[in-house]
Amino acid sequence: MTGARPTYVELLETNRLIQACADETLWLCLTRTVQGSKLFPVSPYMMLSYLNAFYRYPELLRKVEARMTAEEIGDRARNMGAKLQASSIAWGLPNFYLLGREWLISMGMIRPQDALDDVKTVMDFWKRFMLSWHRNDGHLDNSSFAHRAQILPDRRLEVFEADLHACAPGDPLHDASHAFLATVSQYGFLVSCESRISLTNHGPYRLRDNSEMIVRDFMDLSETSLPWLDDVAKDVPFNNLTVPMAVKDCHFYLVDDWGSFESKPEFTAEKLCGVGLYASDALSDGFIPVGMGSKQELTDTFNRYNEIFKEATNRLWLKMAGWTRDEFIDAGALVYFNICKEIAHVAGVFEVDDWLMIDPRADRFRPILNDEFAAGVLGELVGSVSLPSQQASPYTMAMHSNAPKKLYTPLPYSVLAGDDYAPTVGPIQKGRSSFKKNERYRTTQGVLTLDEYNKRARAFTPTVCEDRYRFLCETWVKYNHESPLADELYRAEQRGSRTIDGKGAR
Amino acid sequence: MAKLFVERDRYDKPPANALVEATHALVRNLVRRRLEESGGDWNAFVFGASNTAITQADFEMIEKTILDSGHRFGWTAMISRRERPEIYVADEGEAGSFSINHPEAVIAAPDKDGREQRGVGDNVTRTPTNTIGVARYVRTTEQVIAFMRDGVPDGTIAIIDDSGGTLTAPIIDRFAGVICAGGTVRSHLGILAREYGIPCLMNSKISGILDGDRIEIETTALAKTAEAYQRGAEMTACVWRLAK
Repeated sequence: MTGARPTYVELLETNRLIQACADETLWLCLTRTVQGSKLFPVSPYMMLSYLNAFYRYPELLRKVEARMTAEEIGDRARNMGAKLQASSIAWGLPNFYLLGREWLISMGMIRPQDALDDVKTVMDFWKRFMLSWHRNDGHLDNSSFAHRAQILPDRRLEVFEADLHACAPGDPLHDASHAFLATVSQYGFLVSCESRISLTNHGPYRLRDNSEMIVRDFMDLSETSLPWLDDVAKDVPFNNLTVPMAVKDCHFYLVDDWGSFESKPEFTAEKLCGVGLYASDALSDGFIPVGMGSKQELTDTFNRYNEIFKEATNRLWLKMAGWTRDEFIDAGALVYFNICKEIAHVAGVFEVDDWLMIDPRADRFRPILNDEFAAGVLGELVGSVSLPSQQASPYTMAMHSNAPKKLYTPLPYSVLAGDDYAPTVGPIQKGRSSFKKNERYRTTQGVLTLDEYNKRARAFTPTVCEDRYRFLCETWVKYNHESPLADELYRAEQRGSRTIDGKGAR
Repeated sequence: MAKLFVERDRYDKPPANALVEATHALVRNLVRRRLEESGGDWNAFVFGASNTAITQADFEMIEKTILDSGHRFGWTAMISRRERPEIYVADEGEAGSFSINHPEAVIAAPDKDGREQRGVGDNVTRTPTNTIGVARYVRTTEQVIAFMRDGVPDGTIAIIDDSGGTLTAPIIDRFAGVICAGGTVRSHLGILAREYGIPCLMNSKISGILDGDRIEIETTALAKTAEAYQRGAEMTACVWRLAK
């Protein structure tokens, strides 16, 4: 054992967080669907990614936090539409780790108390990030807000709303935006190897005319940190695109921790009444308007991007159609595992060996990951919750299912009475991958080498995250909107706005 | 013989899936064996000796043991069977002669208009009129490449036995309709059909439809909601084969 034993309160808190993850995961898996694919061996790559997360996340989170705290990254995340939200950090980060842990417990590879320090590290990072990212709505996650995500501050929502271009069925902007959203969604599923992790939504936000706004983010689209996009996505101009979308005659009653929404009545294209387009990343000073100068310019931009993404889809698909099974599995396992890698980009410590490799301790399981076993064990782990380690006292009634089961095994308190444990999996080991990443990282500051990207990220702080503004929260704005400082803060957010640039806070 | 921690489980119940149970039992045996060989100190073993003592070759042996028992794995991804046909069960057939024959497909004799019901599915989005077209199975990457090269014929209603959103990525926007034999309206293919505005039935239980058949899908039916799935409510739309 290396570190000090945890305190009782630390274990209580960690187990509460583990249970919160278990409850939401069970709900998501009961109400959503297990995804199959004839192209990708989805279950095999998912199981491999969970193991990779178990063996690598703790060390990588410590490395990120040596440079920037989880709560500071959470502050940054509110000001960009990158993979720093649902499902990436909100669900993927803790749950991929916990799913790997649970599977290993069931196989007898570890005990519930092993890697105790690591479990604490992962859950504590997640908690601090989430509280910060959800600062404006005061919740830990969407689940605890009855499935809602009001992430953005008033000043950003004001810009999004003011700059929306109105559209109606049949007009060119409506057609162009509808076509673009379909094409970029399709591309996102392909980029992320048959998962929905390139797409997310947050909101809803009430607009002044009682319509609602959902903010849709499309992420990891260009040649940046997914190696299979090298070359095929060279024409994709931004890595992340954000589409604020005003919708009438429909209420978004649910936005879950996978970033999926449900609405009543069901959202269909004719309900779209306003739209915008922005880019952002770890080097952008907030959201950068894209093609927002006029309705015609935005229409042309959507049409042009539609063609770019169609072409990139075709090129990527043809590349993937020639892959070996190991390449399919590596890509899927890596895109899942590195669902939270944006934290390393923000902190300026991203390394290929950290985020784009399969750890040998995970990779050794590959021979048993045939399609049938992987689908079976995944179904038991997250669907029927029927692995041995998940069975609980017969008096137990789990949330959502009433079954005597626990999706995740809590940390045992008996370590406080002297039970032994192995505290950590230790440092990451030299990994392998079928893919070699090129030296092109497309950012909002141009195409950079990785060294340059990390260097600029370490030197960069978005204006609203500078010490002068960082803690000027919504409560402060409520009572200080007439102050010069509030004007400064709002003007910083309004830079580049077509309609309210320089308006200030009044 | 050493007893693993997980084998002292008060509420122990084997996994529901026999292959999972067998594989996990073999892994536990492996862990027990290697632990004993390392001297039996769990704390030194779990994240120390086990990293090198439990190897990829060990897991290859586990796979071999299962295959030696005569088991052949079911497959979901085409690449799995293509690369190692000897370890997976056989394919079901190619397009042309192939048809999906779901045991629960609702079938009825032709009505007065010559429409013969060949199944039902869950409607993704309600449309003003039913969707009529020509059935074409899309099941392989080769078929998708051929459609990319030659174009998707107008009026194609794709029948897809994969609820994913990647197999048909380059051609989905050219379908007049989609019938998917799996998933739900919330599966990736259902989500994409909704985004593109393509009439689509998911979770379809159909039987006897062949490539080239003229078919009609009841996309005027109510769209199936998430709540309907949670309640287990039946909300289906019909699939008919039309007279030639």
